[in-house]
Amino acid sequence: MPVELVDPVEWSKIRETIDDEFGPGTTQGLRGNLAPVVIRSEQSNSYYLIPMVWMKQLEIQLQDFEVRSIGIWLGDRVKEQFRVGLPVIEKLGRLTRNRIIVSRRGAESFTYGRSILKESLVKIPNGLRRGQKVVVYNEEGDCLGLASLTVDYDRVDRLQPDRLVAKNLTDIGLYIRYY
Amino acid sequence: MREKAKAIAKKHGYLPYMIERYLSLWGEEETLQFIDACERPIRTAIRVNTLRTSIDETIARLDKKGVNLERVPWLEEGFYAEFANVSSGALFEHLLGFYYVQGIPSMSVVRTLDPKPGEIVFDLAAAPGGKTTHIAQLMNNEGMLIAIEQDKKRVSTLVGNIHRCGVTNTLVLRGDAKKISTLEIVPDRILLDAPCSGEGLIPIDPTRKTSKTMADIRYCATKQDELLEAAISSLRPGGTIVYSTCSIAPEENEIVIDDLLSKHPEVKIVPIGLEFGVPAYTKPYGLMLDESIALARRFLPHIHGLEGFFICKMVKEE
Repeated sequence: MPVELVDPVEWSKIRETIDDEFGPGTTQGLRGNLAPVVIRSEQSNSYYLIPMVWMKQLEIQLQDFEVRSIGIWLGDRVKEQFRVGLPVIEKLGRLTRNRIIVSRRGAESFTYGRSILKESLVKIPNGLRRGQKVVVYNEEGDCLGLASLTVDYDRVDRLQPDRLVAKNLTDIGLYIRYY
Repeated sequence: MREKAKAIAKKHGYLPYMIERYLSLWGEEETLQFIDACERPIRTAIRVNTLRTSIDETIARLDKKGVNLERVPWLEEGFYAEFANVSSGALFEHLLGFYYVQGIPSMSVVRTLDPKPGEIVFDLAAAPGGKTTHIAQLMNNEGMLIAIEQDKKRVSTLVGNIHRCGVTNTLVLRGDAKKISTLEIVPDRILLDAPCSGEGLIPIDPTRKTSKTMADIRYCATKQDELLEAAISSLRPGGTIVYSTCSIAPEENEIVIDDLLSKHPEVKIVPIGLEFGVPAYTKPYGLMLDESIALARRFLPHIHGLEGFFICKMVKEE
């Protein structure tokens, strides 16, 4: 599986997806001066960000090796749907206003793969809508993962404590649950 | 000696060939000390990952959670850690990549390699990634680290640890490290923490007392020869290579290095540069090996209270 530079059309689709979800300019903030590359497989396309100077190194003979990771994992596209990778979520959190804070108990539950209930929600910025993706933090400011809101901001206060607020999309607990 | 070895082996649950070798290397008293040390648990240790946070912040956070830390004298980022009632892998700080649970000898291997920011470094048997992430840490994520692992499952663990620890300067390749010359990349440094029989891990894995035969050790030694040969061929003239194993077997360590030195006069052993361990053996089993092998270091359970390890630093002269 060779490593290829992402072509401009493909990159613009990824940029649109990320910027739509997290705000204009987020993708450029993530990318900085790195080059986006892709490793294609039958199941998915995996996108990475690498220093420009690596491109020359990658003109190497890789026939005896399979590239499993390179630089910063930006995310995967599976069946036309792009999902950001866990390693970039912390930086994403610094670039977007879509951030929520959860209680200690909620944080523990979230990092076991569970979703977020109203009773765990400590802070949510106004104006967020149902379906919007949010970066999840604990009260110490640690980035825990990514969730999708299941309710509009305006309706959160009306919810019972045991009602779902945000669905877990990915979290740092995956590092011990999956790998 | 054979009868004595059989008796000791039977009493302590080892295979006789192992005890026979220990008696030849150390004599009876030290062999019994070794056996006794292997019954004692190895202290848990962590490496603070400065790619994610500072040493001070990690110490403060772990202290709040009741984790007792004690500095390792020759490792700025290494600490003995007592986690009391909590698993070392269960804390948020672990998930956040603030620390890596890692043996002291493994950390010492990477400190011996001494990788620098901006260099090209190969890690030839990289999974699960403790040493890979440590190399990236010392490189401050600058330069290029090429981590190679052949095992499909273990390569996933390697990638997971790379992501968890915030490593961004690494190319992870799955494949046979013996074929690195086909990459046509000339590294400044190479770490070969070679697959081995694990004879140094008896304190951690008591099944090792009976799970490997002499044939297994010979098989490992052959693989280690091949890997070292490939590594030396691709290393930049003037470059550095560190060879290590978690085995205490001279057959996988000093004898492998002696063989390499005889085939490659351009390769020289250099001092480790850190104060740890004891000198490697130059006369194991009565063999007369290259005297410079004494510059390599061994960790031994009965002397250091750690898993057994062998570390040898070499340069390929220009």
